[in-house]
Amino acid sequence: MSRSVWKGPFVDSYVLKKAEKSRESGRNEVIKIWSRRSTILPQFVGLTFGVYNGHKHIPVNVTEDMIGQKFGEYSPTRTYYGHAADKKAKRK
Amino acid sequence: MTEPRICVGAFAGSYGVRGEVRLKSYCADPAAIETYGLLYTEDGEKSFIVGITRAIKNGFAARVEGIQTKEQADALNNTQLFVSRDVLPSLPDDEYYHSDLIGLTVLDTGGTEIGTVQSVQNHGASDLLEIAGPSLKASVLYPFTVAAVPTVDLAAGRIIVDPPEGIFSEPSDTEV
Repeated sequence: MSRSVWKGPFVDSYVLKKAEKSRESGRNEVIKIWSRRSTILPQFVGLTFGVYNGHKHIPVNVTEDMIGQKFGEYSPTRTYYGHAADKKAKRK
Repeated sequence: MTEPRICVGAFAGSYGVRGEVRLKSYCADPAAIETYGLLYTEDGEKSFIVGITRAIKNGFAARVEGIQTKEQADALNNTQLFVSRDVLPSLPDDEYYHSDLIGLTVLDTGGTEIGTVQSVQNHGASDLLEIAGPSLKASVLYPFTVAAVPTVDLAAGRIIVDPPEGIFSEPSDTEV
């Protein structure tokens, strides 16, 4: 059963405060958060969060297409390295 | 073969009784393994021409030139397959092969060495460089963006990073 719309998206209050503070300061920083359950809101776009995965903070650059999803989705708790082979990385 | 080589797959035993092999591909597009021409063993002594016949569970069934029997195919089990780096097609600006990035020295904007790139990962947001070095307690995941990595110099074997605050330091705030 999905969450009732009237409640609005869930975000831990400290995440909102930290994001607001970072946006006001305009500093280039990674906002370290432990709240994997918080929803990504439109005001987070452009910020970089370090989302804890139980081991370390994974940097997540928030973009528009992430809105509505949870932070935890971008910070896996298990990592499979695999082979580099011909895989490519794009500098955005 | 003395130029840099990249592991693109491996043989995983025989398939059927007619000399076909099981082929595991590590490529981004698995079927691309047969487009790279000659595939070499790790020491570069043997080479194989591989043709994929069909997709099977966990890989492909393939024919290897010169391999006619199941016994010959079995003998190739666990052989890793390499291609020359030159075989890979060139990429547009700001796009790099993981294998080119791995091993690069990481310097900050002041020229201080931070470490080396251990791996490249992508968890759905953006590409991340895993950086490890003597000055770091544990490896650090670093966003591979133009702002955070202004210079990638493959010829010199280094990248210059402009780290955002707090990325190379321990967490000072622990409120949850």
